[in-house]
Amino acid sequence: MRITLNQQPQQLAEPCTLQQLVEQLQLNPNGLALAINQTVISKREWARTTLQPDDQVAAFQIVTGG
Amino acid sequence: MLNLAGVQLESPLLLGTGKFASAAQLMAAVTASGTELVTLAMKRLDLQHQSDDILTPLQQLGVRLLPNTSGAKTASEAIFAAELAREALGTHWLKLEIHPDPRYLLPDPIETLQAAHELVKRGFVVLPYCPADPVLCKRLEEAGCAAVMPLGAPIGSNQGLQTLAMLEIIIEQATVPVIIDAGLGAPSHACQALELGASAVLVNTAIASAADPVAMATGFRLACQAGVHARRSGLAATSSQAHASSPLTHFLETL
Repeated sequence: MRITLNQQPQQLAEPCTLQQLVEQLQLNPNGLALAINQTVISKREWARTTLQPDDQVAAFQIVTGG
Repeated sequence: MLNLAGVQLESPLLLGTGKFASAAQLMAAVTASGTELVTLAMKRLDLQHQSDDILTPLQQLGVRLLPNTSGAKTASEAIFAAELAREALGTHWLKLEIHPDPRYLLPDPIETLQAAHELVKRGFVVLPYCPADPVLCKRLEEAGCAAVMPLGAPIGSNQGLQTLAMLEIIIEQATVPVIIDAGLGAPSHACQALELGASAVLVNTAIASAADPVAMATGFRLACQAGVHARRSGLAATSSQAHASSPLTHFLETL
């Protein structure tokens, strides 16, 4: 299955949840936020949210700022 | 003491975390400043170059975290950023900032008010960065914002309280805390803001870009203490004429 993550194509084995995507890419979940097709997905929903082909996933992280 | 949405903070100094040379320097400045509330931003994750984890050491210091919506140019972008920040940090506190113009980074009052209404409805504790406009500040307060954050001068400009006359009106009228944000370039500016009756100040560039940021953080902490003490003590009245502070007895006339 092909999705995009921050506009970069990613090939994933099906089925794949958001939680599995985070683990596969070894992303630090502390300070991480994810959206699928412009909808923010709560952390507690990551394990229950299965990605669909062509989903556009956006990943954001907390950084320093004023 | 600063009361934000029912939370008491001893320190009137809020610290922005941008522009520090390293995470270690930031942590040392946070400690030296005595702040209990620091701001953070959101950005799109760079999968090739993941940033250092600055969150864990801040969490270990025990300071409260206040995410901002910097980068948002419209109310709808700010609302999206707010939802992301809430998930990323697990806090519903938010520094709302919408500044579409990169040259002066001045906050858009119309988009800010619109976003504030919606974010309050969605359960956020909204702290809006806003122009030093007394009418707008009242409107933001009526929208349910937990504080207002009028600017002293453009972000990062270090010009001090250029908006002084308007800040005085805002402080006089406000029933929520007034936090002077942006443009404070020296400890004396922070002191002046607190002497005026502001509840708190938010400082970033003046500390992070100082030759010695940790020492400057101490300078701001002390200046804030001075400002709070001065405000509580009741400043003496000013006058255009002299009023002698030594006895004007005529003891020299007989010489």
